[in-house]
Amino acid sequence: MGKYFCKRVASAIPLLLVISFVVFMFIHMIPGDPARMIAGQDATKEDVEVVREQLGLNEPLLVQYGHYMKGLFTGDLGDSVKNGKTVVETIAPRLKPTIMLTVSAMIWATIIGIALGIISAVFHGRALDYIGMIIAISGISVPSFWLGLELIQGFSVALNWLPTGGLDSWQSYILPSITMGAGIMAVLGRFTRSTMLETMREDYVRTARAKGLKETLVVMRHAFKNSLIEIVTVAGLQIGGLLSGSVMAETVFSIPGLGRLLVDSINFRDYKVVQALLLFFAAEYIFINLIVDVLYGVINPKIRYN
Amino acid sequence: MKNRKKVLAALMAGVMTLSMNTAVFAAEDGYAVKATNTDAKSKDNDLVIAIEGSVSSMDPANIPDTNAISATRGCYEMLITFNENQELEGQLAESWEVSEDSLTYTFHLREGVKFSDGTDFNAAAVVANYERIIDPENKLRQRRTYVVAQPDGTEKFRVESIETPDDYTVVFKLTEAWSPFINRMTQFCMISPAALEEYGNDIMNHPVGTGPFICTEWEEGDHTSFERNEDYWGEKASVDTVTIKEVPEAGSRTAMLQTGEADLVYPMPADQMAAIQGSDDVNVLAADSNIMRYVTLNMNLPELQDVKVRQAMNYAIDKDAYIQLMYAGNGKPATSVVPSIISGYKEQTPYTYDVEKAKELMKEAGYEDGFKLTLWGDNITQDVKGMTFVKQMLSQINIDVEVLPMESATISDKIYVEKDEAEVNMWYVNWSASDFTMDGSVRSLLYSDMCPPTSANTAYFSDEEFDKLLDEGLATADPEKQAEIYGKAQTIAWEAAPWLFLGNDQLLYAAKSYLSGAYVSPDGSFNFAHAELAQ
Repeated sequence: MGKYFCKRVASAIPLLLVISFVVFMFIHMIPGDPARMIAGQDATKEDVEVVREQLGLNEPLLVQYGHYMKGLFTGDLGDSVKNGKTVVETIAPRLKPTIMLTVSAMIWATIIGIALGIISAVFHGRALDYIGMIIAISGISVPSFWLGLELIQGFSVALNWLPTGGLDSWQSYILPSITMGAGIMAVLGRFTRSTMLETMREDYVRTARAKGLKETLVVMRHAFKNSLIEIVTVAGLQIGGLLSGSVMAETVFSIPGLGRLLVDSINFRDYKVVQALLLFFAAEYIFINLIVDVLYGVINPKIRYN
Repeated sequence: MKNRKKVLAALMAGVMTLSMNTAVFAAEDGYAVKATNTDAKSKDNDLVIAIEGSVSSMDPANIPDTNAISATRGCYEMLITFNENQELEGQLAESWEVSEDSLTYTFHLREGVKFSDGTDFNAAAVVANYERIIDPENKLRQRRTYVVAQPDGTEKFRVESIETPDDYTVVFKLTEAWSPFINRMTQFCMISPAALEEYGNDIMNHPVGTGPFICTEWEEGDHTSFERNEDYWGEKASVDTVTIKEVPEAGSRTAMLQTGEADLVYPMPADQMAAIQGSDDVNVLAADSNIMRYVTLNMNLPELQDVKVRQAMNYAIDKDAYIQLMYAGNGKPATSVVPSIISGYKEQTPYTYDVEKAKELMKEAGYEDGFKLTLWGDNITQDVKGMTFVKQMLSQINIDVEVLPMESATISDKIYVEKDEAEVNMWYVNWSASDFTMDGSVRSLLYSDMCPPTSANTAYFSDEEFDKLLDEGLATADPEKQAEIYGKAQTIAWEAAPWLFLGNDQLLYAAKSYLSGAYVSPDGSFNFAHAELAQ
């Protein structure tokens, strides 16, 4: 298993290299000139040239990529063009809010989502099933932006129970976590339900029931455990999306996270920050997939890694 | 059960406020909405300001956005500044004089002022700050104010020498007369030389100035905090602390005002005004801005070469309707090529909305049946709305406009190209000159040398007399002479109609009625030095 893990990590490196090249080229090919953004609309051509030279943007793209790669391996990711802070200084303080929010959203969404799915599957075709699926479908259909604003109007403005934004206290996590997690809760709920329904038709579940096992044991030990692999796969993909896709919740609840930083940096054509962020998101996705693969072995010891 | 009902009612209230249509609120005496509860009291003495954008820097010599101007002014001061009425007044300089030939500017500095690190403010500090700015190694944005890049790659310095005859006198000698110099000095902040020595360009993380507040924390993307400077040389600040919170979403900013988490929110979108109607202790204020809204007309296009066509297009636009539609009435139709707040502004004869006259002019120009044009602009909702309005108005005189919204950086790429590659027909755009000078307002937009790719004259307007007047205006620092020269220049540009002159919007901000002394300036920065919270 340890060997497998190391092999997987090693195989991620060439993948990241390819991603870094694609990201670099794409960013430099989208229209928009950072030198012009910094110098300002009223700047003359000469002023813009001076800035371009300062940023090294007048060199051929491949040479610039070479500098970037050299920096990447020596730990120097360059400076943000907005205010001269290093890229690491710019990104580091944004990590905590996004990660904290992702984790809190994921925890409640996973628990509630899976519970909803199991209940709906067990009570298939009955009232509880319909209620569960109405909740799930609402979670998918309601745009998170709108949900966030409504939660603020209800719980902050009208009831004055919770703060409108920021991450200063545990209470401030509640509304953004609900906003971020609603969609995932819904996806996991729907997915758990359909997987469970399939598993519950399997012969071994019927055998378990025939043996006279308690229904809860049948559901949890036989049906749920065998559905878990697929549920973990979907959950893993969702977490990956959460980290990079938290921009809506971060905007509505004024949270200084990675999503907002990415959007701001793209608008400012802050190439170095955008590159670093995209590479980080790619690495994070690869890492989560790796964790999911490792979890397969934990869930089902029959799975062997070669 | 009772509680559940309350939650439901609250959610319903939320749905209703969000779906309400924009009502019309016009500003009177600076108030778009006036609070009825004028006796409201603040629960603490801590001012919280919620803003839309980001405070991207706390280095006053390297300012990327207007919010950074506002924030840095909490702890930094300049030699001179604009007061609330946009008049120049001394801040760290008690007085100043300009020589007859407009080449020498002498500032007499205030004595007994200390930086928040305890060191003295004096003439040497002014010199140290100037030298820091012009040092190319520091890569500071403000360097461009004092150093001009030339087409041949060399650089021209605006300041020939800076002398200090005594500890409290500074003399700037310019290489050639440049009238915007005095206005630009309102952006020249004094940083403690001792702190600069210690931190270098990391000074943005350790601000040390002479201002009424001391910056205690700057977390980019989240907040900037200040506390009162107890050793301030002037009248001490009234509030204990100030926190500038970055709240990008308008609905969330409004909610913060309603819950009392914020005392002032800026900007306040007109469409959010309905939401605060229920609060009796909120004022919505409107400040005149230096924003000029216009559409450039590429005068190289055969259809747009005739002045009659361009004037006809101006007559075909209902400017009042534009202000009503776009800014819920909080604005004014344009009355010159610059907003009235710019120094040297002169009111021009308006192109009053008159479709018949417009049609007649089109007929005289031989374009009775109209023609087709494209209109570029930013893809943000508000601009697309404005562009669509222009399209509808021009269709009345048979001009078929194709609206092409694009991301701003993409437009920038398409605009700054050589003349023979220029594809621009019309550009829906706005301009604000942060130094409030006429030169800063029009040179890069209308001077003949400033056509793309050099700068932003996308009308390709070229008028010798106009250029001459602008150069003359630059060479004199005498306000009366300037007014006469710039008055003529404005008339030339206004009558030639290189643009569709649309309007000047007002800046809307909302504050609790117990807050006084904090205001938004015409350049979009906000000032909280004299803020007071009624207790």
